[in-house]
Amino acid sequence: MGILHAENRSDSRRGKWYGTAVVVAAALIAAGCSSSTGPSASPKSVTSGGTLTFALDEDVAGFNSLLAGDNEFVLTEILDQTLPRVFVVQPDLKPVLNTEVVTSASVVKTNPQTIVYQINPKAVWSDGVPISASDFIYNWQAQSANPKFKDVGGKPFLPNTTSGYNQIASVTGSNDGKTVTVVFSKPYGDWQSLFSQANPLLPAHIADKVGFDSGFQNFGAAVQVSGGPYEIQSYTKGEDLVEVRNPHYWGPAGTLSKIVFRFILSDDQQPPAVQNGEVNMVNPVLASIPFLDSVKSIPNFTVSVQPALEFQHMDFNEANPYLALSSVRHAIAYGTNRPEMVTRIVSPLTTAIGPLNNRLFMPTESGYTDTDNGYGAFDPAKAKSLLQQAGMTMGSDGYFHPNFGPEKGQDFTLSISTTSGVEVRSEIEQLFQADMKAIGVKINIQNYTANTLFGTIGPKGEFQIIEFAWVISPFISANQSIYCSYTSSECGNNWDHYSDPKVDTLFDQALTSVNTAQATSLYNQIDGLLWSDMATLPLFQNPDLFGWSTNFAHIVPNTSNVGIPWNANAWGAT
Amino acid sequence: MWAYLLRRVLAGIIVLFVLSFGVFILVALSGNPLAALQATPGISRATIAAAGAQLHLNEPLVDRYWGWLVGLLHGSFGYSYTGQPVGPQIAQRLLVTVKLVVPAVILSVLLGVIVGVISAVRQYKPVDHVSTGLAYLFFSTPVFVLALLLKDFLAVDVNRAVGHTILFTVGESTPGITGAWNVFVDEVQHAVLPVVTLTLVTYATWSRFQRAAMLDVLNADYIRLARAKGLSPRRVLFVHALRNALIPVVTVVAIDFAALIGGALVTEIVFSWDGMGQYLYNALTGAESPDVYAVSGWLMVAGTAVVVFNILADLVYGLLDPRIRYA
Repeated sequence: MGILHAENRSDSRRGKWYGTAVVVAAALIAAGCSSSTGPSASPKSVTSGGTLTFALDEDVAGFNSLLAGDNEFVLTEILDQTLPRVFVVQPDLKPVLNTEVVTSASVVKTNPQTIVYQINPKAVWSDGVPISASDFIYNWQAQSANPKFKDVGGKPFLPNTTSGYNQIASVTGSNDGKTVTVVFSKPYGDWQSLFSQANPLLPAHIADKVGFDSGFQNFGAAVQVSGGPYEIQSYTKGEDLVEVRNPHYWGPAGTLSKIVFRFILSDDQQPPAVQNGEVNMVNPVLASIPFLDSVKSIPNFTVSVQPALEFQHMDFNEANPYLALSSVRHAIAYGTNRPEMVTRIVSPLTTAIGPLNNRLFMPTESGYTDTDNGYGAFDPAKAKSLLQQAGMTMGSDGYFHPNFGPEKGQDFTLSISTTSGVEVRSEIEQLFQADMKAIGVKINIQNYTANTLFGTIGPKGEFQIIEFAWVISPFISANQSIYCSYTSSECGNNWDHYSDPKVDTLFDQALTSVNTAQATSLYNQIDGLLWSDMATLPLFQNPDLFGWSTNFAHIVPNTSNVGIPWNANAWGAT
Repeated sequence: MWAYLLRRVLAGIIVLFVLSFGVFILVALSGNPLAALQATPGISRATIAAAGAQLHLNEPLVDRYWGWLVGLLHGSFGYSYTGQPVGPQIAQRLLVTVKLVVPAVILSVLLGVIVGVISAVRQYKPVDHVSTGLAYLFFSTPVFVLALLLKDFLAVDVNRAVGHTILFTVGESTPGITGAWNVFVDEVQHAVLPVVTLTLVTYATWSRFQRAAMLDVLNADYIRLARAKGLSPRRVLFVHALRNALIPVVTVVAIDFAALIGGALVTEIVFSWDGMGQYLYNALTGAESPDVYAVSGWLMVAGTAVVVFNILADLVYGLLDPRIRYA
């Protein structure tokens, strides 16, 4: 599902959706567009036909978004309109049933949790094979990572996630394959995330032959089989990918006759291409002030900057004898001027983003609650007081000197690490360094390439403080592997040596709760504990910049992991 | 001469394989292709371990190199970490780079030689000062700046003036164009800006070499003798002087051309041409990087180009100067 990603230049960010009726999409325009520069909220009439070119800043590694190595945001965007999904997260970040694929999906039993999907009787792959229970069965088996299920050649499946799928006991078909019954061995609250978002249905009859791990790596007939309004017509490596209407699609046909995804790997080169009329839509990987300035001056071009489902944060490695003390972690948090970071880094792009006070829900989600309970406040005096209580004395040089541990009698010094060459992170580090100096903590900056940071430094815990971004989805369950106790084998993304049995218990309860309100409450309780433990310090949401030509209408940005093409079937030329 | 050629080719092959071993080992040790997977919650540890096994990361490095080498000797460049065959990938990228580099080199040679000769003949005259100034300007301007200037102040304005797009700023072609002539015209329109960019930065250097070589030759005794013999200025210039002044330039052109075959990285990136340079860059920085098989494949092609063009340069010396003999 690719629910979360440590954000770096080459990773994926969000996910995508799929075909809903034009009318629905048009109605969403007004609701979906909150913006610093304000896209038009009035629906326009569109004409059938035309071509829209969307600039993507990364080429695809392969075409199977369910595969661990291919799970990139750009691929999810490309497959938005070609592979079927059961639920689609809307611009308001709530999942909505895609009735063109399944006419209903409901919990028919809670013990054991049982879901029944009714597949749309008209639903058919573009090669004429009906979309059926066998597709659900194949996708479950491939993503469960259960060793009893094998890919072609007896190789193991390499899925991008097993969350939820590994809790399914059985998937069976009935009613000529049009009814699917999923029975869980353990309740799974985020069941709407299954077969949805960045995890669309693969055509089982194709995947069975060509293979899950390697059959979709190269462009060809297997990749061109579509279950959505569009199908991939051509792909030129490093150049472009072209989608045209799927003539076998059973629902409303896409309005545009062609959607071109143009790979422009350098964000700097996208504004001139827009200005020259070669590109009609952009969504750069990093929203920057120069990029905003470049595109907002282009005539007949709408720009919208929105808070993304992605946030910058600092993690404390509790293997360090000083950071193991919650008083020291709290002192660092109190000494960090998060409002100043927002003012300097984010406010020039949008004023819709402030300091973030929740790690599991973003302010743009309905479940968001300010859970910081005062722990996120900027209070340098309290920070100094806490450091003194932790056993440190202020030295004559303005830095605290620990009375214990390896730095006993020396300037209290910590290092912070992030990915090198990323301006936003560099600014965060420099502001943090100045903030810490003001409370008597010396900070050394030690940065690495993204590959080293996420491949070695983070997983091996070879850091003291680490700063990067998590990309999240509205389905919260995948957060468990970040915040559950590091001693558990399921918590591979807890690089901080953080452990709180109460958090573990609450996660278990939340994950098995099929009551959304109850699960939301439990997740917010977890985040409250993360604040009181000061496990990590969330900083701010990243801004997400969308831009498109006003010659097109019904374009509605979506900050979830379906991306802006979630309703591309409704896009049209005015 | 054939024995000389054979020795050069054999030496080149040995250098390539020694280099490939070193690069293979260093690239493999320089990063973790599973980094992105490890930073993605939801992927099980078993999946990460299986992915590592599929990439042969659990095997000794020397064994992996040997396996790659055996494949190479059987005509296969192997598979990249993303599962695509490296050979066809490189062939496609090489074609893209050739489409960019060959016209740029031809134009650069013509411009470099003409401007260099004129500058030398008109030394310290206004035309020399202008050509020197321009050469330094283009030489010192970063490619991405030059590209942006051409995009903003040439392409956009020209297109606006004519009312439709005749100069493109990204990509090698427009998808969906049909008909051989239309495809050709479209590709030329896409190639204009990157070729002009590459030409301007390349000719600037070569013109300075040509000017210096030409000045050396024009001041040589045999040129003075030729003039004293009453030969026409044109014959002195083109037959006696230019021919000899081309020898050092041939070396520079051959080495630069071979390097460009490895990829004009910045030009490719700013104009979104997916050539050899972009391929290497992606192999070193992409999602599953460093991709040791992709890098090694690139190295063999780029390295072969260096060896071949150096040998060609040696052969051209003989054509330009009959006194040079191979032993």
